[in-house]
Amino acid sequence: MSGEQQVKVEKIDDYRWRIPKESKPGMKVDGLIYTTEKMLKDVQRDKALEQVANVAFLPGIVNYSLAMPDIHWGYGFPIGGVAATDPAQGGVISPGGVGFDINCGVRLLKTALFYDDVKDKIKELVYALFSDVPSGLGSKGDIKVGTREEKEILVKGAGWAVKRGYGIDEDLECTEEYGAISGAEPSAVSERAYERGKAQSGTLGSGNHFLEIQVIDQLYDRDICDEFGLDLGQVTVMIHSGSRGLGYQICDDYTRSMVHCLQKYNIHVPDRQLACAPISSAEGKAYLSAMKCAANYAWANRQCLMHLTRGVFERVLGIPWQKMGMFLIYDVAHNIAKLEKYLVAGEERLLCVHRKGATRAFGPGHPALPQRYRKTGQPVIIPGDMGRNSYLLVGTQRAMDETFGSTCHGAGRLKSRTEASRSIDTNVLLKELESKGIMVKASGRGTIAEEAPQAYKDVNEVVEVVHNAGISKRVCRMRPLGVIKG
Amino acid sequence: MGDKNYEFIEHTADIGIRVKGKDSEDLFKNAALAMFDIIAEKKDKARSESRQRKIEVRQEAGSLEELLVNWLNELLSLSAAEELIFFNFQSLQLKNNKLKVEVIGRGFVDYIIKTEIKAATYCGLKLEQVYSGWQAEIIFDV
Repeated sequence: MSGEQQVKVEKIDDYRWRIPKESKPGMKVDGLIYTTEKMLKDVQRDKALEQVANVAFLPGIVNYSLAMPDIHWGYGFPIGGVAATDPAQGGVISPGGVGFDINCGVRLLKTALFYDDVKDKIKELVYALFSDVPSGLGSKGDIKVGTREEKEILVKGAGWAVKRGYGIDEDLECTEEYGAISGAEPSAVSERAYERGKAQSGTLGSGNHFLEIQVIDQLYDRDICDEFGLDLGQVTVMIHSGSRGLGYQICDDYTRSMVHCLQKYNIHVPDRQLACAPISSAEGKAYLSAMKCAANYAWANRQCLMHLTRGVFERVLGIPWQKMGMFLIYDVAHNIAKLEKYLVAGEERLLCVHRKGATRAFGPGHPALPQRYRKTGQPVIIPGDMGRNSYLLVGTQRAMDETFGSTCHGAGRLKSRTEASRSIDTNVLLKELESKGIMVKASGRGTIAEEAPQAYKDVNEVVEVVHNAGISKRVCRMRPLGVIKG
Repeated sequence: MGDKNYEFIEHTADIGIRVKGKDSEDLFKNAALAMFDIIAEKKDKARSESRQRKIEVRQEAGSLEELLVNWLNELLSLSAAEELIFFNFQSLQLKNNKLKVEVIGRGFVDYIIKTEIKAATYCGLKLEQVYSGWQAEIIFDV
């Protein structure tokens, strides 16, 4: 795709780059990209920057069309894209600003175990997790629910799972929105979406979704690590999943209807995948209510996955999970739109913040945070690829001021899946990972090559950008020991 | 599928294809075949384990491009809800941006599932008449 990128970019400082609104007629605000000169070169190879410019066309967009350093080419919004729109100024909501996998997200559990306690059990844990946690396309969970109960999941989210005995109240306190965003309306969800979601509670999914056993290999902020109860050599578990078929169907249903809203509300966007409707319109409200249902379903799903994980550790290590200290650090959404309050030019405004492959990163003192994180800022969990690191960060005031309380969400793809599959030998890769002490088990062999470390940007560089730009702060780094891929 | 009637186009995060057909009906059919070829591979067995099922699909849209995306998404949705892989598309009628077709599928049990496609997108969508017939470029979210 080289040479196709025509979008003009100006350097603001070492970590911030601007796309002036004059560079594409119709842009209402500038684009602002968090990246380095080196990483920008990769971004310029495809159409990601053009997508940043396209998002700036959305009616009611405030300040900037933002992109995080893990930016890559998506559909509608780029992955790593953030945009806030103001309902009072005709601001719109776009299903393309959330994506098909609504509330795809990640949670991090700590344990009181250290590397030496588990190093001889990794293989057994990986195999047991692989057999107990349903993964892969069309996988079905052991957690069966009827239609009435499914509606309850859509409203109560992770709270439904805890009520069923799949966790404890503390888990909800350590989940974004306490595991259930209010305003979910099951009647806004189509029958087909129910059908697609019915059998998938407690399933991991496929593609880039995973479950990972990790060990902390670097501390950056000793005080916050102490506050969170984390230390070098300590074992953690990370779970990455989303709303599965239910979310895909909701996105499809509402993108279809919103394509017609473009004409109805006289909205001009350069890509139909940016189909949208005013937040205050009937269509906008219905999408938001349905999207919240999928978000809650995803939180319930990750709660179920964590419950299954705790069960596997109990069985393999023969210790109750509470004794192993398997408590949740936090759970964050990566694909979501939310109404949040921000100061814009000194005035408090309620904005609709779209995060498409971006993480909420509320700074210290934010009222949405539970007491335990008020002082530190919100934990931000950044998964890397299966061969490199993952990170725990915290949100900052600067994120509140600059990026609508948002930061990056992962490494971001560098190579296409087809290119990765063509150039990477799965057997060689598995041997390489094994020599680094990483055991991988995947439901499809193809997934391993497609998700190979070489296919991703280096998460260490991505995290360095958000840390140095001040929109979140590094706490500690983990490296993988065992990986289960969907 | 033997001779493939589609080719991959490079996309950093997702899967893009270029597919051809001798007319628009043929193109819609080939796009569906290509999509299920990416999703699944028939297990190498003489006989299928699951019974075939036939479902009638009707779609309409404001434009032919929109109809193509809606058609593929309807198939993905039906495939997930009914747990079927579709491999045959009969009596396909396409007129005035309206589509009527009988789709035939077999159960997941008869296939090795390779890739989950979440949806077909409007992003970068191209649908055009070319010298040899019709051609489309479609990007799938995977």
